[in-house]
Amino acid sequence: MIMDVRLILLFLLLLFASESLANEEIVEKDEDFSEALLLRPLPDRKVLAHFHFQSRLPPTNLHGRHHHLFPKSIFQLVQKFHLREMELSFTQGRWNYERWGGYDPIASSNAKPPGVELWAVFDVPQHQVDAHWKNLTHALSGLFCASINFLEHSTTYATPEWSFRSSGGNLKYGTLPREAVCTENLTPWLKLLPCRDKAGLSALMNRPSIYRGYYHSQRLHLMSNEFDSNGLSSGIVLDQTLTIVLQPNILGTGGVFSSGSTLQPSWSLSSLFGRKVGGRCVLSKSSNVYVQLDQNLVSELQKVGKENEGSHHDISENFWSDPSFEMSVPPDKKIREVESLDSGGSSILYEFSVENYSDSKPFDLGFRWKVPLVWSCQQAPLSVSRYLMGSGNERGSIAISLKSNRMSHRMKNVDNNAGECWLRVDLFQVVPWYVKVYYHTLKIFIDEELQSMADTVEKIRVSPSEDKGLPGVMEMTLRLPCGVRSAALTLEFDKGFLHIDEYPPDANQGFDIPSAVVVFGDFETSMHLADDDSLNKIPLLSKLRDNNRVLAYTEVLLVPLTTPDFSMPYNVITITCTVFALYFGSLLNALRRRVGEERRLLKSKASKKTSQLSLLLPKLFAKLRRKSWEPPNQSSSSSSFNYKLIVKVLLVAGLAVVWQYYSS
Amino acid sequence: MERFGIGKFTVLLGLLLATNLFGAISSSDSTATMHTNNWAVLVCTSRFWFNYRHMANTLSLYRTVKRLGIPDERIILMLADDMACNARNKFPAQVFNNENHWLNLYGDNVEVDYRGYEVTVENFLRVLTGRHETAVPRSKRLLSDEGSHILLYMTGHGGDEFLKFQDSEELQSHDLADAVKQMKEKRRFKELLIMVDTCQAATLFSQLHSPGVLAVGSSLKGENSYSHHLDSDVGVSVVDRFTFYTLAFFERLNMYDNASLSSLFNSYNPHLLLSTAYYRPDLYQRRLEEVPVTNFFGSVMETLHTDSAYRALSGKHSKMGKIKMPSDQSEEDMLRILESSDFKHQIVDLNVKDQQVTCPFTRTWSNIHDKIQKVKDVDGLVNYGLVLLIPLLAVSSWLSS
Amino acid sequence: MEKPAEKKKKKPSKSDSGSGSGFEFWKWAIASIIFRLILIYFPKNLNLASRPEISTPLTSLRRLAEGYWLKELSMSPYSGSMYHGSPLLLSILGPLTVKRLEGQPNHLLCSLVSVIADSISAMLIHGIGQRLQGAYCRNLRSLGLWEPFEGALPSGDLAALVYLWNPFTIVTCVGYNTSPIENLFVLLSLYGACTGLAPVAAFGWVVATHLSLYPAVLIIPIILLLAYGLDAPPRKLFLQKLSQKAGSDSSSDGHPESVEAQSTPFSLRPVLIFTFWSLLWATYILVLCGISLKMSGSLWEMFERTYGFILTVKDLSPNIGVLWYFFAEVFEFFRNFFLIVCHANILFMILPLAIRLYHRPCFLAFVYMAISSILKSYPSVGDSALYLALLALFANELAEMQFSFFLFCGYVGVSVLSPVMHNLWIWRGTGNANFYFATAMAYACFQVVLVVESVSSMLNHDRRIRKLSTSTKA
Repeated sequence: MIMDVRLILLFLLLLFASESLANEEIVEKDEDFSEALLLRPLPDRKVLAHFHFQSRLPPTNLHGRHHHLFPKSIFQLVQKFHLREMELSFTQGRWNYERWGGYDPIASSNAKPPGVELWAVFDVPQHQVDAHWKNLTHALSGLFCASINFLEHSTTYATPEWSFRSSGGNLKYGTLPREAVCTENLTPWLKLLPCRDKAGLSALMNRPSIYRGYYHSQRLHLMSNEFDSNGLSSGIVLDQTLTIVLQPNILGTGGVFSSGSTLQPSWSLSSLFGRKVGGRCVLSKSSNVYVQLDQNLVSELQKVGKENEGSHHDISENFWSDPSFEMSVPPDKKIREVESLDSGGSSILYEFSVENYSDSKPFDLGFRWKVPLVWSCQQAPLSVSRYLMGSGNERGSIAISLKSNRMSHRMKNVDNNAGECWLRVDLFQVVPWYVKVYYHTLKIFIDEELQSMADTVEKIRVSPSEDKGLPGVMEMTLRLPCGVRSAALTLEFDKGFLHIDEYPPDANQGFDIPSAVVVFGDFETSMHLADDDSLNKIPLLSKLRDNNRVLAYTEVLLVPLTTPDFSMPYNVITITCTVFALYFGSLLNALRRRVGEERRLLKSKASKKTSQLSLLLPKLFAKLRRKSWEPPNQSSSSSSFNYKLIVKVLLVAGLAVVWQYYSS
Repeated sequence: MERFGIGKFTVLLGLLLATNLFGAISSSDSTATMHTNNWAVLVCTSRFWFNYRHMANTLSLYRTVKRLGIPDERIILMLADDMACNARNKFPAQVFNNENHWLNLYGDNVEVDYRGYEVTVENFLRVLTGRHETAVPRSKRLLSDEGSHILLYMTGHGGDEFLKFQDSEELQSHDLADAVKQMKEKRRFKELLIMVDTCQAATLFSQLHSPGVLAVGSSLKGENSYSHHLDSDVGVSVVDRFTFYTLAFFERLNMYDNASLSSLFNSYNPHLLLSTAYYRPDLYQRRLEEVPVTNFFGSVMETLHTDSAYRALSGKHSKMGKIKMPSDQSEEDMLRILESSDFKHQIVDLNVKDQQVTCPFTRTWSNIHDKIQKVKDVDGLVNYGLVLLIPLLAVSSWLSS
Repeated sequence: MEKPAEKKKKKPSKSDSGSGSGFEFWKWAIASIIFRLILIYFPKNLNLASRPEISTPLTSLRRLAEGYWLKELSMSPYSGSMYHGSPLLLSILGPLTVKRLEGQPNHLLCSLVSVIADSISAMLIHGIGQRLQGAYCRNLRSLGLWEPFEGALPSGDLAALVYLWNPFTIVTCVGYNTSPIENLFVLLSLYGACTGLAPVAAFGWVVATHLSLYPAVLIIPIILLLAYGLDAPPRKLFLQKLSQKAGSDSSSDGHPESVEAQSTPFSLRPVLIFTFWSLLWATYILVLCGISLKMSGSLWEMFERTYGFILTVKDLSPNIGVLWYFFAEVFEFFRNFFLIVCHANILFMILPLAIRLYHRPCFLAFVYMAISSILKSYPSVGDSALYLALLALFANELAEMQFSFFLFCGYVGVSVLSPVMHNLWIWRGTGNANFYFATAMAYACFQVVLVVESVSSMLNHDRRIRKLSTSTKA
């Protein structure tokens, strides 16, 4: 039933798509969808696969609200919550900045912290932002089968002002470091694509092979200026990227060469994903596969080429077979990065178009190395890591250490005024409220000696944590000399104690401090591609071309907190109240006791002639006006009276027990 | 009952299509207690890797009810932990309920509505009784009506009259009975099948009193429910016995079979289960021999023949109104929240104002403020004030003594 | 603040308890101060500043430094729930926390401040003790009962030395927190009340209440002191004495004028002066707070961050009180109820005690302080140091107190066990929260027993005096 409904829907979509493709070039501002896959061999014998799907919607004021490609749910999100920009990412594993590179567009825009990261810019007045954020988190949690709604509490999200992104006060940022990421998150993400994972490049996404990877980050970034005051608006642009780092299973070609270095593993789409591409998604404007060889690798190749033939032209001559590697499918196009000023080499992109492949003739790209190569990815100027110091569950301290990667050749776009060269580093860190940071203990070490805050911190903004109210947010701009070898930054904190209900079920596992964001504001990475509009048509390439800031996420910290005894509440309440009762009763008793009062009391009780009541009233009066009241004193044994009292008490207790027994 | 007798003969594919249409249409206009749609609430209440089998149980039931025709948007799936992508799972993104890894329960199309820390007693009771915040999306709500048949399946670790959630809190049998009673009064179901696979499951039903409820438990009081077998590749036992034999029963069925509930209940063999499956039929009006299992586990229902299009249309309209209700309700509630917050702000301002008006201290130091606004070094001023205290003290004491 | 101190310097010379013991006293006092100065130089290996028994969220100077840092960034010092003290302390001690003497430990200046505060408060105790001693002897003589109580201890010297040499006081003084200053102001108010200086009493009372809420209950003993004078046996005895003297006209025993002096009725004037001055001081303090919070925050924020933090027990970090664990475990929907109950426990006892002990205001003050240190939200051993010193003022009256050895052992045992349990729980991780809470419980119980026993033995003392006076009369 559901299936055939889907079929009908798909059929309709096909109809719409065909006619949209037909009149695409007539009407430029029609909604379109395009898919691309970028593959890049990594130095540590792994392969990076980066899927990129983009669907754009023309502004609704020109074309109505009827759209056939753009996902309706996203459109409704934008409409309802007045989103100007939003990014949601589900990530498993941590991007390895040292080995997989920290200075290229993909790393800087697709390396994400573990778990869920969500930030959104709203186009509403300031006082409505929180309510919109709350509803947005709930809507997203329903949409993506994740508990994003935990971000609704004010203790979980922050409002960065300038360090994370430069935008108005309507930016909200929240992360869930411990959120599990699995197929139930990928499925709704795929359902946003017009072809689901039935056709096109997304058909490669075989769940087990994807989740077997070392790093897996699924990202959804949408940008809209629907609500601009001025009429011109470019509608909504939805970018969906999936970045995976996979280990190709060795196909036995790992022969050891004379140089001793082993061959890089060969791989193919089918060996990486266990599937092949059966043609393009018919709804997509363009669907290409790219193989990228990054700068250092290219320079290595050129060396190898020189050794073999002397001139490195033959890279550009025979496509499918190069002296150092070969590809099973000849690339349709070779895009070479124009020699840029700062970057050492220039990377190469081989473009394969899957237009002319079909289920009968599936596209399966194979990549085989001929000679062993060793190269390294481009590093960010500083490599960041964060760790905890101290032991015990009472206090500790956070340390963020920055180590230089000796990237002197890139220091040129740093301001060189007055001969000194500074390197600016923006830091943005959110800590939960139960980690009570003493910000006055902030110490900054540069090359292992302590610096004063005045001359290293250019800008700082701290909003300390409220108990059960707000997280602690720290934004700062460090100003380091270019020649810095290492810089470190420490903060002390006390560990808070929570109420018994505030601990999660697995409290003994510890609590997570979300990863801090380190932005190298002076640096921007981009691929310098030749300027022809054929490349501009491809969203992936245009993404690679435009500049994005170099940033890095630090590790997530795991803080163990002390736990109270979860099984104790009743005991604690009763014992404490007993102590209160002891204090109150004994003190009151000590206050109201008088000389010989007990003796007189017993005497009066012992006098059996007069009834208790007739004795009680005058005694009460006597007590009221603090006079000593002489009872008619008959000498009689008070012990007999005590026995009587005890017997009475026992009788009453027995009655109570019997009553209980028979009533239940 | 005889209506169902007719339905038994006329359950066909086209009829299915029709019924799904009508499932979308609430038959508020027609007879109030007509069976309109099927819902399933599947709960795995236990956390941690060694409870893999509970998640496998739940996912097996999930697969079964989906196979038998309950769509994903009418299934509320609660999984207390993430086993599929757990670091200990040797088969990432896969969950198996049998050591022959034929069937990957965690296929490409699983929609988990509540997972991880969200699976709490509070959320469970909220789902049953339908008391949510306005912001909670529809996919997390049990939007059943008075004609719905609901399957409620729970598995985890339990005991005498309780079921543990996440190893930290308990669902008592009183809570369950109370929630069911509320559902009955709110007309959230017509028939409810509670199936529990846990130790001493039968004790969980002891407080139920609402009519139309049928309860099946895996073991009697004082009995344990055991796991079926251990998968040496996964490293833990992958399924519980009760669920295993339930699935064994359902695997033989397809959407159109008419196996009755009694046949399901009789298929539980105490020697295989190592415990006595218990079912409580006394609150359930119909005879189990005549109720097919698809009554709860599938989405099979009889048609309503409408001679005029108006009724269906009107019904559709009413239903649409009903459907749209939560969303725009949430919107206007959001607005209301905002308005109220504004109002609060105003109130606060007012308070501040009249406080300034009334309190003498504030007045004094407010106009002192105006004098010292130009003073730069506040701390210095305060310190001078504090130093000034000493001679003042001396003079005052000298005056008084 | 120097004034009362140097006034006390020449006090012992004209104190009627022989000044032979005065020399001993000074020797020991100076020795204790030198001992503190020595201890200040080893804070690292003592590491007392972070002990939960010593520095509470209210009194820890580390939090004060954080607040000062925030204030320097022109934020409200109360933003973020780190600092909960008074803004005046912030502007006095804040600079000292960041100022560094080269070659000296960082905290030296603050510790010096607390040493000075301790010495001044010791002087104040000494002064109070002299007054009480004088009144004690005078009353007994006037009742003609001097003989049975011959050879009374010099309670002033004793109390001051108990305060100075009490390990609790010493660790508090070294432990880098502000409770010595709070104690100083409490004692200042009591001293002012004892010497009849209403402005000083008002000042001390206002500042102590401003620093830590609980000394507010001291208003009753202060007013009683100002109105009726110092501690004395119940006034009935003097009246009886007076009437009997009137009956038997020419008799040369007793000092009639002193009897007259003792049997003065409630005198309203000093009370009015006190209220006037306390209003004045309160206004002054509030104005200063307002000025110091002018840039950031408001007075209302101050109230809600200091008093509100004290009353609604927000911080659940462990201390030697009983409330933290209670409120960490109690169910959320009972929280408000139990908050009311716990605070009402202090208030309930105020009136009965005042009725029963209205003739012994200083002792009443001691009892109030002890009770509030049992039941306050964030107690520390500094509070115990204060009330133990006050207790030593009544060494003569409480001569026949019961369980004193048992209580002593209890205090020693608790102060040994509490760090051990804390270490086991927090650092080793082998212990459990219940271990530490058990010691807190035991501590509370011992304090309760101490209060009850002292009260009852004080009442017994009065009874004994009454018996004796009636017997002498008969």
